[in-house]
Amino acid sequence: MESKLIPISEAAARLGLSIDTLRRWDESGKLRATRKSPGGTRYYSEKNLDIFLHELFKMAYEWATNSESTEIPSPFYSPDSSIFQARLIKMQNLLANMPSATNILSLLVAITGEIGNNSFDHNIGNWPDKAGIFYGYDANKGEIVLADRGLGILKTLQRVRPELNSHKDALRVAFTEMISGRAPEERGNGLKFVRKVITENPINLQFQSGDAELIISKESSDLDITKSKQSLRGCIALIKF
Amino acid sequence: MNIELKKFGTALISRQAGREAFAAFQSSLKDIPEQEEIIADFDGVITFSPSWGDEFLTPLIQRYDGRFKLMHTHNPSVKATVEILEKSNSIKFNVV
Repeated sequence: MESKLIPISEAAARLGLSIDTLRRWDESGKLRATRKSPGGTRYYSEKNLDIFLHELFKMAYEWATNSESTEIPSPFYSPDSSIFQARLIKMQNLLANMPSATNILSLLVAITGEIGNNSFDHNIGNWPDKAGIFYGYDANKGEIVLADRGLGILKTLQRVRPELNSHKDALRVAFTEMISGRAPEERGNGLKFVRKVITENPINLQFQSGDAELIISKESSDLDITKSKQSLRGCIALIKF
Repeated sequence: MNIELKKFGTALISRQAGREAFAAFQSSLKDIPEQEEIIADFDGVITFSPSWGDEFLTPLIQRYDGRFKLMHTHNPSVKATVEILEKSNSIKFNVV
């Protein structure tokens, strides 16, 4: 059976994007319209929209690595921490109904909250361009994606650890060392918590900031930090469960 | 005195929310008799995180020391949070 065709106005409403953005994305090939009417109205196949909405990591990665901020579907954009908090509670309620997530529900929400709030806490008032974070999840695929276009781990850690000079070292410190000095800013130990939870539970994390990328999984005692192909200024995280 | 944390929500996550909760709770702490224990009760809380906990539990243990206790819970996010707070702040919570 052929997928239902949806006019551009409805597709824009579903994605939380403007019609102009969808027109631009059609021309650039980022999200192609399936058909154009003789009058020029674009139509999208429902199936293609679904596929697009489920490619969360790709969408977030493009947004985080692009030289300029681009528009992202509004359901995935949390401009401030109060909207992020509300969406976290929505995810908590959704996962509560999934038997596969029952045992780790509170931990998944807690680590997602720590990673997202880390972005807000360390960039507030200092966002280089677009304030806020990308936050999306696909409960059926067991994926949670967070990204920001902030200053990144190295720059924010240098405020308390000025001797740090590589993204790799910064990532190691952020995920392993307890930072006791609070001055000149309040700094928590959220990422240490994230690491602890993941190494003790069936959860995986892929995290990148700058050109350093790390993967943590259950029982991984050492941090596996590698140099990534593409660098990004802020952070991106993919949680799998 | 029991602090029913669920009254602050089922997802206690951000630093900002923890700070607001602590500020709002000050008036309830004012009239506590000197010897009375203060117990944080996690019943009804689904998600608990170190950011929220550090703004609420840490100042309470710093102020009330041994009088401040945590009610035992099986919630894994509470357990993991308490372990991280104890390690990062070099403190030890009493659990009842």
